[in-house]
Amino acid sequence: MVAEESMGKRTVRELLGLGALSGQVKEGCNGEWYLLVNETEFLPLVTSLAARECALIGLICTERFSPGAPFSLLYIFEKKGVLLVVVLDTAQSAPSIARLLPSACWSERDCRDGFGITFQGSFDERRLLLHETYPDDYHPLKKDVRNVPPIMKSSVEPSEEYPFRNVQGDGVYQIPVGPVHAGIIEPGHFRFSVIGEKIFNLEVRMFYKHRGIEKLAEGKPADEVVRIAEAVSGDESVANTVAFCNAVEKIAGMHVPDRAWALRTILMELERIGSHLGDQAGMLVDVAFPLGASQFAVIREEVFRMNDLLAGSRFLRGMVVPGGISRDIRTEDLVALGQFVRQVRKRYRTGLKIVLSTASVIDRFSPTGVVRRSILRPLNITGPTARASGANGDVRVDHPYGIYARHLPTVRVLHDGDVLSRFTVRASEILDSLDLIERLLNALPDGPVRVACDAKDGYALSLVESARGQSLCWLWIRNGVVERYKVRTASYCNWLAIEHAVQGEIVPDFPLINKSLNLSYAGTDL
Amino acid sequence: MVNVLSCLLKRKVTADIPGRDEEIEALGREIRREVDAVFGGSLAIRELDTGSDNAAEIEINNLTNPHYDIERFGITFVASPRHADVLLVTGAVTHNMAAAAKKTYEAMPSPKFVVAVGDDACDGGIFAGSYAVLGGAEKVFPVDLKIPGNPPAPKEILTGLLALMNNAGKTR
Repeated sequence: MVAEESMGKRTVRELLGLGALSGQVKEGCNGEWYLLVNETEFLPLVTSLAARECALIGLICTERFSPGAPFSLLYIFEKKGVLLVVVLDTAQSAPSIARLLPSACWSERDCRDGFGITFQGSFDERRLLLHETYPDDYHPLKKDVRNVPPIMKSSVEPSEEYPFRNVQGDGVYQIPVGPVHAGIIEPGHFRFSVIGEKIFNLEVRMFYKHRGIEKLAEGKPADEVVRIAEAVSGDESVANTVAFCNAVEKIAGMHVPDRAWALRTILMELERIGSHLGDQAGMLVDVAFPLGASQFAVIREEVFRMNDLLAGSRFLRGMVVPGGISRDIRTEDLVALGQFVRQVRKRYRTGLKIVLSTASVIDRFSPTGVVRRSILRPLNITGPTARASGANGDVRVDHPYGIYARHLPTVRVLHDGDVLSRFTVRASEILDSLDLIERLLNALPDGPVRVACDAKDGYALSLVESARGQSLCWLWIRNGVVERYKVRTASYCNWLAIEHAVQGEIVPDFPLINKSLNLSYAGTDL
Repeated sequence: MVNVLSCLLKRKVTADIPGRDEEIEALGREIRREVDAVFGGSLAIRELDTGSDNAAEIEINNLTNPHYDIERFGITFVASPRHADVLLVTGAVTHNMAAAAKKTYEAMPSPKFVVAVGDDACDGGIFAGSYAVLGGAEKVFPVDLKIPGNPPAPKEILTGLLALMNNAGKTR
């Protein structure tokens, strides 16, 4: 254990170079490293981290974190195996780093809306979370702003409307879509600039569903926040509660029983299977291949019913709690799960064979909606989307949590980056998850599934691999209650991939590309 | 020629759904009767998400999977509020969605019905009082029926729709 820690420290030092700063890093509760810098050190450090191929995976603003500083900005950098949190204290403003690290763009706008921080030199100063009707100079995440509805503007002048990027030229026309869409889909706005049939530019506008998740968690004890974590994104209920509970447990420095982690892992993998099946069925609906779509939709419904049997909730809600899981799963239900896994694997393989041997499906899937590898790190694109574009990354492998270190999944990597690759990566992951569940069931540890978790004060960074990719949670508990709960799901970053993936494609392929990226609106808007 | 023959002769790629749910079938028959009697043979639904966590959408979508396949019962999901009899609303109404939600409701022809699906749409749920939401669906338009749940299962949504039609039939 000691050797491992010093190895971690060595990796961070290497990352930081041999400068004086590397002596100042402090280890956090969950293996992450914190480094407090001043404003003169900040830009050179960030530039060097960017040059060393670190991804900026999150930017969090929080109040009264460092003594004497009104606000602290926490920049979270990731490189395989290392998580470094660069802390910059500020009274009101900070230099913008969005040109250097584009994944900072939305996050900076996020901090500006939430806390009124200004970012010097930023190229996009439009509001993000708060749409036009919110009052000016309203920053709801500040501690002195109470969590009550503000007095909204009763009308919005045309000059105050959101300015979309204006694309002009011969034959360019715009197609505005949303926020209310034609299907049973969540709300969001897509502004297409089109030439003929081809998409020249797409700008997405989100946060229609901004419902104040982060503020809602503040001042509540950890147990009460579990429901809020579940409401981040319905189909990621388990992933986001595991991220939250893992943070609580790491802060408390407690050990969660092995059986609890084994069962949590089964639930996480079931959630992944359900989510991937839904995407695959949706993609096949979008290319008008109901034969394939129905097979996957049928299996998915059965997964929901299995969830209900195991957990009493089709979305596996109410199971993951700080300290373990809320109740053990009955032996006969686990036996039923084992049988289910075996028969689903067989049926899924049959369905997959039909789909992948149908020329009309392949013709639509390939080479459609390519996500180039070069945008992955700058935008912090993760999950199956990144793995289908050549990235060998998976939180379960890069930063193992729970018992994944003992059950490392194979990272399934393809290189074409198109719809077909994303479909195929998900197919492999479904089969892998089924295998993992079976392996866990065959060697399920005995013992308790929950131990008392007395929340302690402190902060921790917790990452999990949801079905959509890297889901980040930074939690700060103070005086026994949540002081700051920051969530950044994979979708928040992955949404920007769609703006790149649709360029040069035809408008009718947009729904297919969108489905293949499987983006959660709720998980982005919070 | 060979291809045509082999298509005719080979085994059909169809299968029965494992574990057909008789309760759903019975519910469906009742719905079919009400749709015929009250709505002239078809009930058109427009779904509107005003700030859900997406679980309720998934369950509404599930109503169209082969296990439920509610088009059999005369219910269709339509792409425009202008074609809809019923608005199924999910999620607490956020400030950012309030204007779009009102426009959607106003675009529906009368007579129209609104059903709130899930705890958040019923009364704001855990988000009630938050800076970012107005509250449940009734803050922006009249609601005819509430189906609570976190989220309600497809069967519960169907039971709710049946209740809506029963009520509509009585007040006709």
